Amino acid sequence: MSNLEFHTNDKISQAHKDLRQTFLKGTTLPLEFRRHQLLQVARLAQEKQEAILSALEADLGRHPVEAYLPEIGPIVASALGAVQCLDDWARPENPHISEQWRSNWNTTIHKAPKGVVVIISPWNYPWIITFGPLIGAIAAGCTVLIKPSEHSPACAKLMQDLVSEYLDPRAFRVVQGAVDETAHILSLKWDHIFFTGSTRVGRIVAEAAGKNLTPVTLELGGQCPVFVDGKNTNLSLAAKRILWGKQQNAGQVCVAPNHVFVEKEFEGKLVSAFGEAAKSFWPDGALDAKSNLARIVNKGHFKHLQSLLARTKGLIKGGKTEGLRMEPTFVHNLNVPTDDVLMTSEIFGPILPIISVNSVDEAIENIRSGPTPLVLYVFTEDQEVKNKFIQQTQSGQLIFQETFGQLAVPEIPFGGQGDSGYGAYLGKYSFDTFTHLRGSIDVPLIPEVDAAMALKYPPYNPGSEAFAKYNANLPIPDKSQS
Amino acid sequence: EQIRDTLRATFKSGVTRPLAWRKHQLYQLARMAQNEAEAFCEAIGKDLSKPRTEVLMAEVGAVIDRTIKSAQQVDEWAKTEYPEVPDWQKGWKPTLLKAPKGTVLIISPWNYPMILTFQPLIGAIAAGCCAVLKPSEAVPHFSQLIAELVPKYLDPSAYHVVNGAVAEATKLLELQWDHIFYTGNGKVARIISAAAAKHLTPLTLELGGKSPVIVDSAYDMELAAKRILWGKCNNSGQICIAPDYILVPWNKQEELVQGFEKAYKTFFPNGALDASHYGSIVNDMHFNRLSSLLDRTKGEKVTQAMQGRRDASRKRIEPTLVKGVADGDSLLEEELFGPVLPIVPIDNLDEAIAFINARPHPLVLYAFTEDPIAKQRIIDETQSGGIVFNDTFQQLAVDELPFAGVGESGHGYQVMKYTFETFTQLRSSIDMPKEAEPFLQMRYPPHGPEAVQALTGGVYQSIPPSSPTGK
Repeated sequence: MSNLEFHTNDKISQAHKDLRQTFLKGTTLPLEFRRHQLLQVARLAQEKQEAILSALEADLGRHPVEAYLPEIGPIVASALGAVQCLDDWARPENPHISEQWRSNWNTTIHKAPKGVVVIISPWNYPWIITFGPLIGAIAAGCTVLIKPSEHSPACAKLMQDLVSEYLDPRAFRVVQGAVDETAHILSLKWDHIFFTGSTRVGRIVAEAAGKNLTPVTLELGGQCPVFVDGKNTNLSLAAKRILWGKQQNAGQVCVAPNHVFVEKEFEGKLVSAFGEAAKSFWPDGALDAKSNLARIVNKGHFKHLQSLLARTKGLIKGGKTEGLRMEPTFVHNLNVPTDDVLMTSEIFGPILPIISVNSVDEAIENIRSGPTPLVLYVFTEDQEVKNKFIQQTQSGQLIFQETFGQLAVPEIPFGGQGDSGYGAYLGKYSFDTFTHLRGSIDVPLIPEVDAAMALKYPPYNPGSEAFAKYNANLPIPDKSQS
Repeated sequence: EQIRDTLRATFKSGVTRPLAWRKHQLYQLARMAQNEAEAFCEAIGKDLSKPRTEVLMAEVGAVIDRTIKSAQQVDEWAKTEYPEVPDWQKGWKPTLLKAPKGTVLIISPWNYPMILTFQPLIGAIAAGCCAVLKPSEAVPHFSQLIAELVPKYLDPSAYHVVNGAVAEATKLLELQWDHIFYTGNGKVARIISAAAAKHLTPLTLELGGKSPVIVDSAYDMELAAKRILWGKCNNSGQICIAPDYILVPWNKQEELVQGFEKAYKTFFPNGALDASHYGSIVNDMHFNRLSSLLDRTKGEKVTQAMQGRRDASRKRIEPTLVKGVADGDSLLEEELFGPVLPIVPIDNLDEAIAFINARPHPLVLYAFTEDPIAKQRIIDETQSGGIVFNDTFQQLAVDELPFAGVGESGHGYQVMKYTFETFTQLRSSIDMPKEAEPFLQMRYPPHGPEAVQALTGGVYQSIPPSSPTGK
């Protein structure tokens, strides 16, 4: 593990001050500046892909496909997408005004950058989770402090080097630190805080932000449930798509399918289907040296996962380990309501509990009684079942017949609800996160305007009262119509 | 807690989901405001001595107008959206579901109790949420009135009024809500933020601050004075968007003062003290606060009409003009929230902008100028919730603009569609067809060289040239 050099609180405060100065100067306002910085982000990812690959390998044992597909590729694509859309996103809006008497007020919504923002990112997908929001912040015209996770130190160090090489240091900085440094960052005044991490730390961030009335985006834990409708879906396809999502980064990602509900009569078939899918992914076994499976991030987390397996009351299919790697492991013979140790919190590892239920309603009831998930995955082709989940459950996202693929669609926002957080990003939603919609009117000087509004000025006469009462006497549709 | 759980059960039952149900509740809200208009005028009159005309216009009328318009637009707002995506993803049916957040808490202040309680409620109803309303204990007649009327007109299993003071508010804040909408001041906002953080509750904070007015030397001083004074007199300046203080070039100060005196005389031919169309200060505490600020000011009181007579027994303060106010004066310490108008003379626009930027971001920035360069500079070089040129207060008539603060003036939007969005969870969705499998096949391990090539190829997209100077 490389030794990451932390910044002192003074250096962090200085960076914050510098970033505010730059913002006040207006450096980040011109669209040409933002466009160039965005293209530099694209170049950073494209030109330094080898270095990024090595850092991911060093920190997480990440396979090249899993470095490019979810991280490096999307950074280039997002940055280029933002450049293309920037004019549209940043353009002031002039909403249509149907009421004549105020249609010449130049009603405008300006897209104002919020100001100086901080992005605190986690260790598991350090590049996309830092650069995704960063792209939005740059596009919005903000200055940004980045605090990458100390638990992926090679990536954090490389990020610092690359950002200072490719981006304008007056506007974009990286600082390193752990808990103390993060606490210091949170004590400063920001115009937005973008945090991705655990629910527990999310509360700490929200509390600190509250002291300065700072708006926050919290992308928190998942504990994402899956429901497999055995009657109405292809079990082997479902197993394949679920396992593909689960084994990404060995399950260490907020959108990983956490646990699966299936009706009793299909449990056996589903467990077999998972076995088949695993064999097709890893003909030589998941722990084979050539396999794509990532490592568990560190000993502590690894031991925790082993302890879960030791204490679960379910039947284990798998569980083999090698170094810091654990093969995708299925635990079944669990029923609801379950107080099994595997269900006490987000697993964040390659263990997949399969829980049998009597009906889809029982699964829904169980999902509702737990914390609101980041993503709810449902495998069914039955419209009625789909509608049940749409109407009766809550979640950040609701995904049918797939896991993970939704992240490839920047036209739909990615964010949580309840314990999984609030706020969202991807595509235009990243830009919106760091933008303040500044409403504006410009009331003309012409005498006609004042004459039209003369009745509003005191002293009030019967005409004034009639003018004031106008709205009060608007016709309300008959009860029979509503 | 029982109330919250009842509301949650109602939400869970799904009764608030059908649009017809929501529209009915909205029209009921409109009927309540219309049928009980007199009762509202009376209650608010008792609590605040607010002139009838102001209540009918800014509170009753505004609620009816926006409720009806929302009922008419809720179909459009609640419609599921299908964003435009590249061809290869079209089969995935990317979808945006407008899901109600759930059970929410709306805490409102005393100064415009009706519109500030019901405007957020309109959005919550339209979004399909259940809501608890906690009006201010500083307006007891109003709070009592809505506690009686809301269960009569709206579905009591979905909407409930909770009255009380600090103890009740604290209890409410200990519970988990799916959204908290607070209108008030920065101090209490921090308390609410801390409570919300424990439950990871998203917040809307509609706060205040000192809303500055920049007056350009080329503008018509009489017209500026009239438009500013009108904004200031509404509710005797007790509103978050009241023009708080004025920045005007030294050489125009006297002319502006004369403009104010002239406007004042037309608004109040016999002075404001006994005028029935001018309101009072809400309570003794605020009356004393404002009196103390005025007593301590080092600015120059005007000697003509706007010297500001006071009557402690009736808690009345006339619109008071103070000129020659300098940085550090008592009148610049905090949001005035009263009918006191300090004029801070400055040299030029640079100084005005610097003055504003040295202070917390205001809720609204007012600027009287017709110079497009000055306008653009003010837009680019300052930050504020909203920005209004050449009038005050009128932005409240605009349904199409999001209303919000930044920094100390708060965060989160309201008004019409924006209130709806505040209480809506934008729940995204895709539906991956079986038929997509051959296309997705190469993503599964093991990854042969062709798969690796195809999957990693995205990084080689061509990047157009660029330079820091944009040339």
